Amino acid sequence: MTDRRRINGPAGTTIPPVFEDEDIKHDSKVVKGRSRAPDAVRRMFLKTGVTPSASGSAYLEYESSAKSGVSGLKLSCTVHGPRSLPRSSPFSPHIVLSTHVKYAPFATKQRRSYLRDPSERDLGTHLETALRGAIIADRWPKSGVDIIISVIEGDQDRASSNIQGDETWDMMNVLSGCITVASAALADAGIDCVDTVAGGVAALVQNAGEDSTPTIVVDPIPSEHEKILGACCIAYLPTRDEVTNLWFKGDLSASAMDLYTKLVENGILASTSANRVLVASLNETLA
Amino acid sequence: MASTLPTLAIPGQLLGSTSKYQPGPGTHIHESNLYASLLGNVRIAQPAKPAGPAKRLTKLSALTQSSSSHKPTPDQLPTLSVTVSAGPGSEDKKREVLPEVGNVVLCRVMRITPRQAVVAILVCGDTVLEAEWQGLIRVQDVRATEKDRVKIYESFRPGDIVRAEVISLGDQANYYLATSKNELGVILATSEAGNTMHPISWKEYRDPETGLTELRKVAKPY
Repeated sequence: MTDRRRINGPAGTTIPPVFEDEDIKHDSKVVKGRSRAPDAVRRMFLKTGVTPSASGSAYLEYESSAKSGVSGLKLSCTVHGPRSLPRSSPFSPHIVLSTHVKYAPFATKQRRSYLRDPSERDLGTHLETALRGAIIADRWPKSGVDIIISVIEGDQDRASSNIQGDETWDMMNVLSGCITVASAALADAGIDCVDTVAGGVAALVQNAGEDSTPTIVVDPIPSEHEKILGACCIAYLPTRDEVTNLWFKGDLSASAMDLYTKLVENGILASTSANRVLVASLNETLA
Repeated sequence: MASTLPTLAIPGQLLGSTSKYQPGPGTHIHESNLYASLLGNVRIAQPAKPAGPAKRLTKLSALTQSSSSHKPTPDQLPTLSVTVSAGPGSEDKKREVLPEVGNVVLCRVMRITPRQAVVAILVCGDTVLEAEWQGLIRVQDVRATEKDRVKIYESFRPGDIVRAEVISLGDQANYYLATSKNELGVILATSEAGNTMHPISWKEYRDPETGLTELRKVAKPY
């Protein structure tokens, strides 16, 4: 469905012109290659209380990659409520969560519409599942809370012209960021949680070179690897040692059970790293 | 034991064992340990010392012997709570609260029907609510005596400020409230002429300008 009420930008890809230059040429040859250790996540910045009008809010930024043209991840989350449910909704003895994830129109290479598309709804559902395990819902009967996340920058390689099906992998990184930033905003809003939930991504990647064996990395950037074979996004409660949401994607053989276990282990490792930032940021607001 | 207790807590932080503390607001129990569920300052409230012998001594004579040995009963333990703070140096930020059963609330009458009065809850306990919650005072909950003779229009009028007690979380939209106590009822009423009136009896308000009286379920002054 097209949006005819607003003046929209071009529907196709918007890539800044890349001129033939010696530097760029050189750069494009060494596209692939990870600059971090396999078990190291990117540095991130997290701050709560950025939106004064909301009950709680948080802002999360992932360090952008060293490669030029690859933007990092920027997320802004607001929490409204607890507030009374609309009159039409049925009685609920616990809090009703509603999550909205929306990409800004300019967040990705492919321009996003103002209406939520299926992939954004999918992210919202995953986020709701991840948070529901962390919230003590029966502390707030008959009330609802709205969690709204705006993806300001979508963690994509804007300089490369080819779309290589990276979107599905980008969604995993975005989801892990969404979980972390929503957890910080919920703590800021004063909604009871059993723990601080944080998201993490692990992936099985094939690096450049035909003969290299697939390796497992955390916090993958699709543009840094030749091919991503499979990935998993985990929402993890560190003090409870519980996983609230698990999302697997990719082509893995069903027999390789230890591969699945290793991916989950590395996902938990990534979310523990994110949780350390979350705890430090929350302590900063108190001190 | 106080030295191990943190002053600040984040959700999921271990605060202590349930054998040492009682859970207060902002905490939860998991595997007989007390954890924080909010981001804020940790408060310890010592239990109120019972003045003189406890009321139910006759009933619990066997229990009091065992408690006097060394193990304290749950109501003798200090209560731990976590309160949300606005930031360094400032006092506690007001956190949204919900009306609960037993709370005394202040509300404004929105509209009346022969069976019920629909009110908007404005204040719960000591806290002004940010969101507006709807309440319902049914005709049988207006007063404790002569319930069958109660008429809503002789008890409340739209615009009155009423002190009431929450008796139920109610249905999807309304909290159920009651004014069936002496100190509950209309505390501020405006006459048909538009003047603020004075209470003159348990069921009457008088307009000081016109001298006319109107019927209300009047709250007894504290």
